[in-house]
Amino acid sequence: MPAAIGQELVALLPRLRRFALVLCRSPSLADDLVQSACERALANADSWAPGTRFDAWVFRILRNNWIDHLRRLRTEGMKEDVAAQMEIVGDAGEEPILSRLLLAEVQQIIDTMPPEQREVLLLVCVEDLAYREAAEVLGVPIGTVMSRLARARKRLVEMTAAA
Amino acid sequence: MAQLHFSDEILMAFADGELDEPVAATVEQAMASDLAVAKRVAEFLRSRHLIRSAFPSETASDVPPELRAAVQAQVDRFERHATQPTSSGGGQASQSVPSSGRWRLGMALAASLAALAIATGGYLAGRQGLQPSSSGPIANLTAPEVNRTLSESPSGQDQDLPFGRMRVISTFRMANGPLCREFQLQMPSGTSNAVACRDHDWVITFATASAPTNDPYVPSGGADLMASYLQNAGAGEPLLGSAEMKALSEAQPQR
Repeated sequence: MPAAIGQELVALLPRLRRFALVLCRSPSLADDLVQSACERALANADSWAPGTRFDAWVFRILRNNWIDHLRRLRTEGMKEDVAAQMEIVGDAGEEPILSRLLLAEVQQIIDTMPPEQREVLLLVCVEDLAYREAAEVLGVPIGTVMSRLARARKRLVEMTAAA
Repeated sequence: MAQLHFSDEILMAFADGELDEPVAATVEQAMASDLAVAKRVAEFLRSRHLIRSAFPSETASDVPPELRAAVQAQVDRFERHATQPTSSGGGQASQSVPSSGRWRLGMALAASLAALAIATGGYLAGRQGLQPSSSGPIANLTAPEVNRTLSESPSGQDQDLPFGRMRVISTFRMANGPLCREFQLQMPSGTSNAVACRDHDWVITFATASAPTNDPYVPSGGADLMASYLQNAGAGEPLLGSAEMKALSEAQPQR
């Protein structure tokens, strides 16, 4: 019996699109990627194990689609200038407001990181996936998640500490 | 007092609420006694906050209407095909946000210590004198003799070094590939158990040290602590006999 994942999938669209932007850095490509991932998720709804994180499951599908896409195209790039599209919006939570300048700087540092660091930053620091869940999405051992994550975050701290 | 060395990964895992209890408790104790450790944890907390803030917040309005419509159409098509009427019974994604009391306590401690480190760091560090002493076993873990013994000596043999006796306990690979060895260094000033991983040279990734006197501060025995660390770090099965010597003799893979 297929689980009714449709509405959850629609609710997940903004976050799927954000992850897709991190992966491919092109808004139009990101939309295609999200759409193909949703198609595949719907077709394979049975393979999602209830009780596990639905978002992590779809993230993994989306990322696998992206890898497939790269393999088919045998290309790295197709990068549009994504900076113009990605508005820098700080979270309006209870935390102290960071200066727009600092946020812009952090955004820029993240943009220059290798893709394997950017994606793990998003999954753990923004999407709050546990290391183990991120490892499953990325298809790498948990130790790899930890070393990539630690390296990226140390670099970020070092580069912003001078300010 | 126990002296500890923590890798970035372990301190980050603490900041992220990902450590098992025995190791997390040890990190907390180390933070309380060593402001440098507290500062490193605070930096991992800060980086997480910075990254979260810098990513664009995901709002429904960011999704182009065409994309939303296309996905909704896919959903409708699939749900029409579903033989059963869809009840919305299942399927809330379970959030695995860390919520243990330990984790929250750690965060509060990190935040307060970070503030303390900025405000009074020099004063406390000078007053408490908690830096690893230069004659203790921790200070010798990076000595060239230790490095050489790690590269050459099979597990289970004692080696006499100028400053003490060293024994490699086991050899294994971490989940992410590097070859690592657990070893013990005994000196008149105390004993250290440590793990070193090979990255061209041997890099110490974890170490415990205990003074020769009875030390009431060591939480649960170095062996438990080491076992917890190895489990957290994803250590593989020990390499034995010829497999160990073969791994040691292999050239460091280019990374």
